[in-house]
Amino acid sequence: MVLELSVFWLLQAFGPQDQSQVGTVISGELQVEDVQVVAMLVRRCIAGDSAAWEEIVQTYHRRIYNICYRFAGSGDDAQDLTQEVFIKMYRTLPSYDHTKGAFVTWVTTITRNLLVDHFRKTKQDRMTDSIDTVASEHEDAQPLSEQIQDQSAPPDARVRSREVGETVHAALARLSPELREALILRDLQDMDYREIASVLKVPEGTVKSRINRGRAELARLLQRTYRQVM
Amino acid sequence: MPDQTSNGMRCNEFDLLLSDAIDGALSGAELSRFQAHAQSCEACGPLLADAEAGRGWLKGLTEVEPPANLVTAILASTSGGVDTQRLRVNARDNQPQVSWLERVQASLFGYLEPIWATVRQPRFAMSFGMAFFALSVGLTVAGVKPADLANISLRPTSIKRTYAHTQARVVHYYENIRIVYEVESLARQVKRNVAPAEPGPAKQKDHKNDTTQQPDQPQERNYSQSDTQLILASAPSIAPQGPCFDSCDLPVVPVTTYRRFV
Repeated sequence: MVLELSVFWLLQAFGPQDQSQVGTVISGELQVEDVQVVAMLVRRCIAGDSAAWEEIVQTYHRRIYNICYRFAGSGDDAQDLTQEVFIKMYRTLPSYDHTKGAFVTWVTTITRNLLVDHFRKTKQDRMTDSIDTVASEHEDAQPLSEQIQDQSAPPDARVRSREVGETVHAALARLSPELREALILRDLQDMDYREIASVLKVPEGTVKSRINRGRAELARLLQRTYRQVM
Repeated sequence: MPDQTSNGMRCNEFDLLLSDAIDGALSGAELSRFQAHAQSCEACGPLLADAEAGRGWLKGLTEVEPPANLVTAILASTSGGVDTQRLRVNARDNQPQVSWLERVQASLFGYLEPIWATVRQPRFAMSFGMAFFALSVGLTVAGVKPADLANISLRPTSIKRTYAHTQARVVHYYENIRIVYEVESLARQVKRNVAPAEPGPAKQKDHKNDTTQQPDQPQERNYSQSDTQLILASAPSIAPQGPCFDSCDLPVVPVTTYRRFV
């Protein structure tokens, strides 16, 4: 880690500023992804350095888990999917080309592809489930309206905030997968439109349109639910 | 979204700029036109409000903490795979040289082992034992002895003779089967009954001038039309002019013919 950081600072001080650095803010220890640093990390991984691989896992697992959790809606599914993402990433690591894009975009693309596969596999299961019983990790499959009724009861602001979060999470799960993935990448992962377009393999205009529609639909969904409760 | 123009901006253009407007990336005249359109357009105004509200909801979501054992599980499922692969490669390199004969034996054993394992099961062993027992009993009853097999002549003439013998035996056996015989005789009877009467011969025989004493029609020789057919013994006493022997006054005896069915 010390070596990567020193290389990063050296490159930041003397290297070309426009190409080598990709300003992607990610959660975790590595705040700014540098193409050269990540490329070196990947080379070490391919050479068999287990410490480098562990560093990649430590850096990206939280981000991948959050994407999976918000898309799949369940903590168990998110854990399984995160493991699958890393297994696939490990196998295809030599195919990563740092000149084609940021490592985080590559990782997100792998995650998104696996999520699409997972969505297709579980389509039949979801069709049999009730809309109101969208599973959440911290809820006991309560209907959305009941969750909102309960949220006025606890006086603690933290509990209330958590329950609001679960309500929004449940509403997010009711959006179509195209809108949901665009919202997750933009509003929860703070990716820019170009990177999202690269991950979703659609034009940037389509990405913006999906984000607008997704936000509006989510707001209408929550407003309608609140209106029913009131 | 309806594509109408309001305050110099079309709804499609508004939709494209909506994300940038929410992100705060619009400024100057473009921002003014955008805001003016949002205020005047019935469709785009609520859309802007909803999109801002939706973004607000999503920004309120906090990051979820992954399970504590997730990193360990990921490393176990990935790094463990690497070590195993390397070990496998090393093991392959360290394998002793094996001859092709041993390899063939090993591959054959690999194919035959499942079959042999199936055969070794008690139920299959019992089935094979019963089949062998039934075969040996059948051959013994049929009079086939293993010693006879050694005396078999394989010369062409001998084979032909054996074939002819066997064929004759089969035909004989078939023709003497009771059901075959009954069916044949029934078919013959039906044919005779069903066949239309033959038109009379073109010229009638002159009985007066017939001195041959031959019957008109050849008599059909059927010896066994029925099992209980009465056959009269020749009784020359009927003819008064004929010679009369001692047996003239013999009674008529019903004779039943039996056909021996084999």
